[in-house]
Amino acid sequence: MDNLTDLPNAEGFFGEYGGKFVPETLMFALQELEETYARLKKDPDFLKTFDHDLTQFVGRPSPLYFAERLTQHYRGPQIWLKREDLNHTGAHKINNTVGQILLAKAMGKKRIIAETGAGQHGVATATVAARLGLECHIYMGAADVQRQSLNVYRIKLLGATVHPVDSGTATLKDALNEALRDWVTNIDDTYYIIGSVTGPHPYPMIVRDFNSIVGRELREQSVTLFGGFPEAIIACVGGGSNAMGIFYPFIKETEVQLFGVEAAGSGIETGKHAAPLNDGQPGILHGAKSYLMQDKNGQVLDTHSISAGLDYPGVGPEHSNLKDSGRAKYLAVNDEEALRAFHMVTRLEGIMPALETAHAFAALDYLTDTFSDTDNIVVNVSGRGDKDINTVATMDGISLE
Amino acid sequence: MVFLLSRLEQKLSELRVASKKALVAYLVAGDPDLETTLELMHGFVASGVDIIELGVPFTDPIAEGPIIQAAHDRALQTSTSLDNIFDLVEEFRTKDSDTPIILMGYINTFLANSLALESIHERGTDAVLIVDIPGESTLAQIGINNTNIASVSLISPTTDRQRIEKICQTSSGFIYYVTLRGVTGASNLDVNEIETNITNIRMHTALPVLAGFGIKTSVDAQELSKVSDGVVIGSVLVDMIHQQSSQKDYKNIYTYLNEISVAITQ
Ligand SMILES: Cc1ncc(COP(=O)(O)O)c(C=O)c1O
Repeated sequence: MDNLTDLPNAEGFFGEYGGKFVPETLMFALQELEETYARLKKDPDFLKTFDHDLTQFVGRPSPLYFAERLTQHYRGPQIWLKREDLNHTGAHKINNTVGQILLAKAMGKKRIIAETGAGQHGVATATVAARLGLECHIYMGAADVQRQSLNVYRIKLLGATVHPVDSGTATLKDALNEALRDWVTNIDDTYYIIGSVTGPHPYPMIVRDFNSIVGRELREQSVTLFGGFPEAIIACVGGGSNAMGIFYPFIKETEVQLFGVEAAGSGIETGKHAAPLNDGQPGILHGAKSYLMQDKNGQVLDTHSISAGLDYPGVGPEHSNLKDSGRAKYLAVNDEEALRAFHMVTRLEGIMPALETAHAFAALDYLTDTFSDTDNIVVNVSGRGDKDINTVATMDGISLE
Repeated sequence: MVFLLSRLEQKLSELRVASKKALVAYLVAGDPDLETTLELMHGFVASGVDIIELGVPFTDPIAEGPIIQAAHDRALQTSTSLDNIFDLVEEFRTKDSDTPIILMGYINTFLANSLALESIHERGTDAVLIVDIPGESTLAQIGINNTNIASVSLISPTTDRQRIEKICQTSSGFIYYVTLRGVTGASNLDVNEIETNITNIRMHTALPVLAGFGIKTSVDAQELSKVSDGVVIGSVLVDMIHQQSSQKDYKNIYTYLNEISVAITQ
């Protein structure tokens, strides 16, 4: 197999994917960020601060928890849960924002912007900005402002400004467009904290590196708890940051199977989904080349998923490379399957997962048969589901008013 | 050997010889529909426009402000594609063989049509300006194989000297200097900074340097034409086209362009 770990290359490519496809005004900011990160990632003081913040502010390490009743339910492999839902603010997203805010600080930026879909990245960004007393603006699709209203309120409580975005499909992709436009306009004093392993180089690398704490912890925890690496790791894929974070430290361990789970929405066959790795072609959106949901004219297609955090037509470039190389496999589960998994995990384990995470759980239906009861498999519990109770209630026909 | 100047080079060198500044007008192809775009293109030329920049609509135009974004959306609603735009240019050429045409848009739509792009010079297109590619890359490097069209690159206030040098080496036609930090249609022009930066660019290239983004009034145009080889007018035109599209009467746009044309000739 080709070398898949020493990527991206100097130009920001993972195989043929990635790159820096942005308007010229942004090129200098990306270069500045690249240089800052290259310097700081080798700086012991920076690493110490990052480590301190992960421990003392985020609450790491997150547990590797044995899901006893889920394991009984499937009568297959031993199922373990990597509990990113227990992090401060309730998702893996905080791993990235505590890292990037340190970069922003080192670069002397006074103003923080971010896009958000489910609102988890918005909350995680507003949180670290509040902690450092920095001005913060969050762009969020108007449709997502509706369905993730709880997180919108949290972001406001944290002192950030939420900008609803009405253009296009009024979801995550449009929030990203608007954040990029803000960045072009306020380039001198603004730091853009991208929320997933997407966007132009060096973001996919930086966001992956900051989230890789998840996979590094898992390497140690799995050896301690079951005497070796897991046979498989399962994670949901929106932009792909929780998946890259847990996959990356295992890429070289080829005996560990990696499964990413995309949102099949109303079903892949209906076209109403958010599964570019399953049903897209390579294209360029938001600064990087990657699999993309697009029509024959190169126009980006509307997406649909019950989960705001997965409702995105693109995916991080490193996942595209992992797909083509065969190192990771990508499946997709639909809204109904995710909702069923949400209820099942809540009832069986007393853990209410985010709807994004529920997609990873739903994939167990397809995967457990291929493993024996001595195998260990790990589901990355990317976040908790409190933010989704309105959506779940509506889907179940229940009014919370 | 006979060395033929391209239509774009020809036009720019004529203007230079006559000590005139170029007036470039931007409109989004297919907004409100392609027949109107054709009518407007001819109307623009009759009103003093030297070069036409045809916006290729895209679902996610990240460098555009609200006015041009909305125009992209309208054009997509009438199913405008690069394919129909190539036809539009061919149709335009039946009556106008002099006015250079530049297609301005985003890489993804161009790549989806990369095969057709190999012969667009035969169908009347002179150049492409792809907003979201690194300016130092050649068209071939990004997957467009056509050496008969020019590749116009952007240089912005944040471009450093090293990049200016590289971008000047791979660009052809002219350099498009983005006059502000921001999206199209913004209004924070700083003429002193623009003059300094254009002077810097000229140390690295003999290509004409045109200024665009945020130019609205004939006063803006006049000031910027003093420090550049020409100006690009975009959002104002796109807005006027939209305002007038229900009456289908575009005379005030032609009057406006005439004023600009006069202002930059003084
Ligand atoms: C809990 C949770 N999981 C997953 C995601 C999807 O993002 P990614 O694929 O980058 O992990 C989100 C995004 O908002 C999220 O909130």
